[in-house]
Order: sequence, then structure tokens, then C-alpha cells
Amino acid sequence: MPAQYSGDEGQSRYERMLQGYLSGELRIVNAGLPRSQKTLAVLLREEYPHLLCHDGSTQLIKRKELDYLASMLDAGEQEALLLPMLIELGGDQSQATILCAGEVEEKVISTILNMPLRQGQPLSRTPAVPPVPTSAVPPASTTPAGLPVSTRERETITIYRPQLALLRKRLKTTTQYLFSQKSSAPDPSLTNSIE
Amino acid sequence: MPQLIRVRPTKIELVKLKRRLSLALRVQKIVKDRLSILTMEFLQTARETVESKRNLLDEMSQMYRALSIAAGYHGYVALEKELLASKADVAVTTGLRNVAGVRIPALEFKEPAKSMRGYSLLETSSCVDHAAQLARKSLKAIVELAELQRGLELLGMEINRTKRITNALEYIIIPSLQATIHYLAMKFEERDREEKGRLKRVKVLLARKE
Repeated sequence: MPAQYSGDEGQSRYERMLQGYLSGELRIVNAGLPRSQKTLAVLLREEYPHLLCHDGSTQLIKRKELDYLASMLDAGEQEALLLPMLIELGGDQSQATILCAGEVEEKVISTILNMPLRQGQPLSRTPAVPPVPTSAVPPASTTPAGLPVSTRERETITIYRPQLALLRKRLKTTTQYLFSQKSSAPDPSLTNSIE
Repeated sequence: MPQLIRVRPTKIELVKLKRRLSLALRVQKIVKDRLSILTMEFLQTARETVESKRNLLDEMSQMYRALSIAAGYHGYVALEKELLASKADVAVTTGLRNVAGVRIPALEFKEPAKSMRGYSLLETSSCVDHAAQLARKSLKAIVELAELQRGLELLGMEINRTKRITNALEYIIIPSLQATIHYLAMKFEERDREEKGRLKRVKVLLARKE
């Protein structure tokens, strides 16, 4: 008989702790998300470029990064680029997805990563579709450096871990991580009722 | 060996335990994602810190060399007199940036709008200009290094905390839930078998009576 510990009176407490932790962890990791995005042009005009976050704090945007982004975009594109760019972590840990509203993001990312983005599907203006985890499927093509080519499909750009590091190195304050619950969907076999 | 949670052996409890396990697995997934992101950021910051420190040391050594040359050319007293007037406040823009839930200070050295040197250009040589220029570059490097080092410390602390949570989930909470679910499932199977045996026995007794 395996060892037992008393959990009778702690049962609900235990469950509450786990639930509290899940919501707490999601709140902590997503606390830095902005209340609203600002365009690059607007941020360039501000004396101290900043964004308001969900937890009420402000996030400083470095002027150096804004100048760098402005140097690769024309005036019209500066009005279209929304910052910070949101990086959603995918189902598996090898890739991440950048949520984007237009093609300016595509230009920025392909310039920073110094590689073209492979067209996954015809571009359309539909809402963002969650990426399908493709951990088992190797990337279709690679760059001369051996990195997999990123893909752009339906309002999202999929990049891989080495590219994410490269992107974060250049754009520290103008990108933001987004942790979603969908990547941690529950196993249906564990949520079923009495069999 | 994982500890069993003491629960009533009922199917309701089994369902509750399964729900709890599902929740624990979701928490584990998020925590692991976060840990991997924090580790990536930590390694990147560590690399940048090393590079920044090397830059700072180079710039400082160049600056001191230029200052020594200037002091040798003008003399300490004259140089000190000129530099007294060149004192100026350093403007640094400060703020926070959030990396996967960790608030890291963001510092940005603000370049002065005009290069107001403060000392007389007529009475000093280009050696002083050169030293002043290098000193400004060193200041910029100091601010950059301060930001990186503080970020490195905060990321390291958060990684430790997250690792403890991941380990607790991976080695204690989830195994104990799985073991309890397994134990209850076995118990129900055993009860079913007993029930079948009992029914057979009753059937035999009834058959004998008839």
C-alpha cells in the first residue's frame, strides 16, 4: 500500500490553489500586454514613447528601436505599423507566432531576419487562425545558414526559436510575448464524466 | 514513490481528480513555456552583458589614456580648472519593460541636444575634446551595462522560482494525482469483480432454493 497523506480537509484548498495558480500565472505572464497598440508614427512623435499595460504600468519604448524601425519604413508604413508586435507562443516550444494586422510587419520581420517569408497560404483578411502545431513536420525549406524559413499565413507569421532570439535581440521593447490558454488545452480523456 | 491523496473511493472523487490533473497539466504547460522563454532571454542577456562589459572596459581604458595625454599637455591644474566648468547633469530616460511577467528596468542615455562642453575651446587643445568625447561614450556604455546586469539578476531570480514550481508540479503534484487516479481505477475494477462474484453466488443460492 503506497504512503498516503491527509487530503480530506485540504481537497478544496488544493483545487483552489491550482486554479488560483493557473489564473495567477496567466495574469503574471500577460501583465505586460498593452491595453492598446500605438502606431510607429505616433510613438515617434512622443517625447517619451511609452505604452500602457493591462496591469496599469507603463512600458518604455526605446527611441533607438523606433529609429531603427523608422529607417526601414516609409511614412505610410510608419502609420500602419502597430506596436508592440505580439508574439504568441505556439503549442510546441520550438515555434512562435507573430500576430500581425498587415504586411508591414512582414516587411519588418523579413528585414530583421534577413530572409524572405515563405507564403504558406493565400493571404486573406480573416481573423487570426491558431497555428497548427507542426513539431513532427520538419520545415519545408531552410536558409543558407540552416535556419528554417518562416511562414506567413492568414494574419500570422510563424517563426522558429533561433529567429525569435534574433528578433528579440533587435526589438526588445517593441515586441511583447503573449501566452494563451489555447496552447495548453486540456486532454479530453481527463475531463470526461463517469464512465 | 508518489504519495496518494486520501479521498473517498467514489466515482465523483475520481472525476474530480481527473479534472484536477487536467488543470495541473495546463499549469505545467504554461510554466514550462514561460521557463523556456525566460531561459532564452537570460542567455541572450548574459551574452550581451559580456559584450557590453568588454566594450565598457575598452572605452574606459581609451578614455583614461586620452585624459592622461590631455593632462600631460595642459598640466593637471589647468585641466582641472577647465573641467570644473564642464560639469553637467546626465539625462537618462528610465522605465520598465515586461519580459514574460518579469519587470526589467529599461534605461536609455539621453544625448544632449547641443554639445555644450562648458570649457573654453580657445584655451584647450583637441586632446581635451577627444577625452570628453570618449567619456560621453563611456557613460553611455555604463548605462547600457547597468540595464543589462539588473535584467540578468531579475531574470535569474525568476528562473529559479519558476524552476521550483515546475519541479513541484512534475515530481510531486502530477505523479500523486496520477497515482491516486490509478489507485481508484484499480479499486473500482476490484469492486466490480467482487460484485460479479457476489451475483454469481446469489444466483447459485437462488438456484439451490428452487
